[in-house]
Amino acid sequence: MTDIQDRTDIEYGEAPPAVDFGSLTSATGTAPPVVQDVTYERILDARSEPQNWLTYYGAYDGQRYSPLDEINTENVVRIRPAWVFSFSPHGLHAGQSTYAFENSPIIVDGVMYVSGWDGWVWALDARTGQMLWQYKHAIPFDVSLCCGNVNRGVAVANGKVFVCTLNAHVLALDASTGECVWDVTSGDVRAGESLTVAPLVVKDRVVVGSSGGEFGVRGHLDAYDMETGERVWRCYTIPKPGEPGSETWPSDGEAWARGGGNGWVTGTFDPETNLLYWGTGNPAPDFDGEVRPGDNLYTDSVIAVDADTGEIRWHYQCTPHDLWDYDSNMECILFEQDGRQLLAHFDKNGYCFVLDRTTGERVRIFPFVDRITWGEISPDGTVTPRIYPDKEGEEVHFHPGPAGAKEWTHAAYSPRTGLFYVPVQDTGAKVARRRREFKESIPYWGAAVTVDAEDMAGSVTAFNASGEEVWRWRNDLPMCASVLTTAGDLVFAGTPSGLFVALDARTGELLWQFNCGSGHHSSPSTYSIDGKQYIAVPVGWGAWVEGFLPGMMGGPHGQAMFVFSLPEGIDSAGGR
Amino acid sequence: MTSTASERSAALSEIGLDGQNQATIGRLLATGNIGHAEDRDDGRMHARIRIVPDQLVWDPSVLVLPHGGHLDIEFVNDDQNTHCALVPSNGDSKWMWLPNYSRGTMSVTLDGPGYYWFSSNIGNDEGRGLIGAIVVRGDVPESARLDRPQQPRP
Repeated sequence: MTDIQDRTDIEYGEAPPAVDFGSLTSATGTAPPVVQDVTYERILDARSEPQNWLTYYGAYDGQRYSPLDEINTENVVRIRPAWVFSFSPHGLHAGQSTYAFENSPIIVDGVMYVSGWDGWVWALDARTGQMLWQYKHAIPFDVSLCCGNVNRGVAVANGKVFVCTLNAHVLALDASTGECVWDVTSGDVRAGESLTVAPLVVKDRVVVGSSGGEFGVRGHLDAYDMETGERVWRCYTIPKPGEPGSETWPSDGEAWARGGGNGWVTGTFDPETNLLYWGTGNPAPDFDGEVRPGDNLYTDSVIAVDADTGEIRWHYQCTPHDLWDYDSNMECILFEQDGRQLLAHFDKNGYCFVLDRTTGERVRIFPFVDRITWGEISPDGTVTPRIYPDKEGEEVHFHPGPAGAKEWTHAAYSPRTGLFYVPVQDTGAKVARRRREFKESIPYWGAAVTVDAEDMAGSVTAFNASGEEVWRWRNDLPMCASVLTTAGDLVFAGTPSGLFVALDARTGELLWQFNCGSGHHSSPSTYSIDGKQYIAVPVGWGAWVEGFLPGMMGGPHGQAMFVFSLPEGIDSAGGR
Repeated sequence: MTSTASERSAALSEIGLDGQNQATIGRLLATGNIGHAEDRDDGRMHARIRIVPDQLVWDPSVLVLPHGGHLDIEFVNDDQNTHCALVPSNGDSKWMWLPNYSRGTMSVTLDGPGYYWFSSNIGNDEGRGLIGAIVVRGDVPESARLDRPQQPRP
């Protein structure tokens, strides 16, 4: 007990009562009950209600495509900010230098649900930007974060907002008030686990994937009952000895137990196959493969997971025995071609993998970045490593660097144009193997790493489903944010310098741009209210900039939601 | 030359880092006392933290909790200036005025393990020394741990 004695020479008064810090804001405290009727069936058919953005990618197929077309190639030049929601941190928080706004806004019938860094969740009036409620989870200052103080979004259903926290909790909040309904501890912060993923609601469950591959954890996906928070299943992405796939790990020792393979980005879902398509992360240690001989399943893979049981039905490994930190977490976009049910996955390693999503069979592989020097993947799937950290202390240089030719940030696919729009990073890195002993919660890379701060490039590149490049919009800096495409035949993308641009989806022509003042590392979405279309983009540079663009380490942080629309009928009356 | 842990307090004092307007303008963070919260029968924890006159420091400046949970903190401002307390808590941070010679209790909920900073977030109270740490000991529930053999720690 703290032994604090009152002074006898003072007559103490009563301090005013403590209050919630959020009560000292302009928040109204409640949101309309719009999420009450958001069901699995509505999310299944999300694209039939284009006024809303009901789930992380807008729909289960991961296309990041909206049928909204009020804003189009003819009038996009006229769009302007409708409102801005800005929020800066108070006091000391984890990742003071690395926090970033990586969210993808969810919008339901005029209410926007947003998660920020460090445990923040907000409900906003999507027409005016008025804050309705806020929730703040207390995040320990000392959580293990490889890649910054970030969170990628929330999920909504049955009156609740689901969100993950950096100290590995999964929460259900009341969507009308922001009050916590349930709170489960999903991971072990002492082991280096955290959660940054946007949850995915499937049926009556909330599916999340863990973070912590850089600390040598054992990756897993978890499904929780939406109403109670009870865990329904856990799917480890690294098999134990004796389980299928364990033959790809050393038979002696505990390399498997520290093997990584985390599913830290939201998967997609096909109700016909009842499979979740989830990307897995790098093996640990990232760059020292000698301590983990073998292919190291199911790291760097697309895994198809039974949504009911959590069992892995098939897998496709994009980078067997990874030595370059080439996570495969990025999206699996579901689409059809010639009557086949396919998925497209643009991987960190610079290749796009088109797979039959019913079987996992390889359909096509093609490169999508100019410089690939680490090795080669032939059209038949043969992987030939060429440059990799091998001898202790001997530096090698390869492309793409550890951030990949595309980071976790998402491509989009327009069924109108039949094109994929890909944010591309063309950056190399120097890596020297430096073996280290494994210790729980301590970074476990097995290398010294410096990413190039010069000689880099970026683009939004459009590919057809056959892998042919159709157009390329070039940027001096790598493109590190998700793109969005709409039925207005537009592609929206943010640059690291802060520009938010609209491109012609058929030609790549730059049609409009706006300087948001801070770099983009998030996922924009679109919605409409009373027929008026809005484009929402979280703006806030940060995260593991040293990994994906060290040339912008000094770039300004930001913490603002910018929302754009055509000028007629804008209502920026948020606030009081 | 570096000092050992046992010499650290003396060195801080000798240099003038553990007081106001000596070596530095303010007081180096987390150089104050360490205290422990009390576990009570009702399942809640309790602690008292005061502001030391003219020292712009919480006493204790490092509060140790045996585990995560609900914590009642009685703040006592013995200083001749007004300060406040902003303390992390699940749901929302808690905030209260601490006028000169006042006392008040705040209830917060924190997960363990890990540590959190609390502060007086007016003026530059934080820079002068009124930032303290709440340390939560313990482990996550067994259900949240990885299915793997026990691993070495630093």
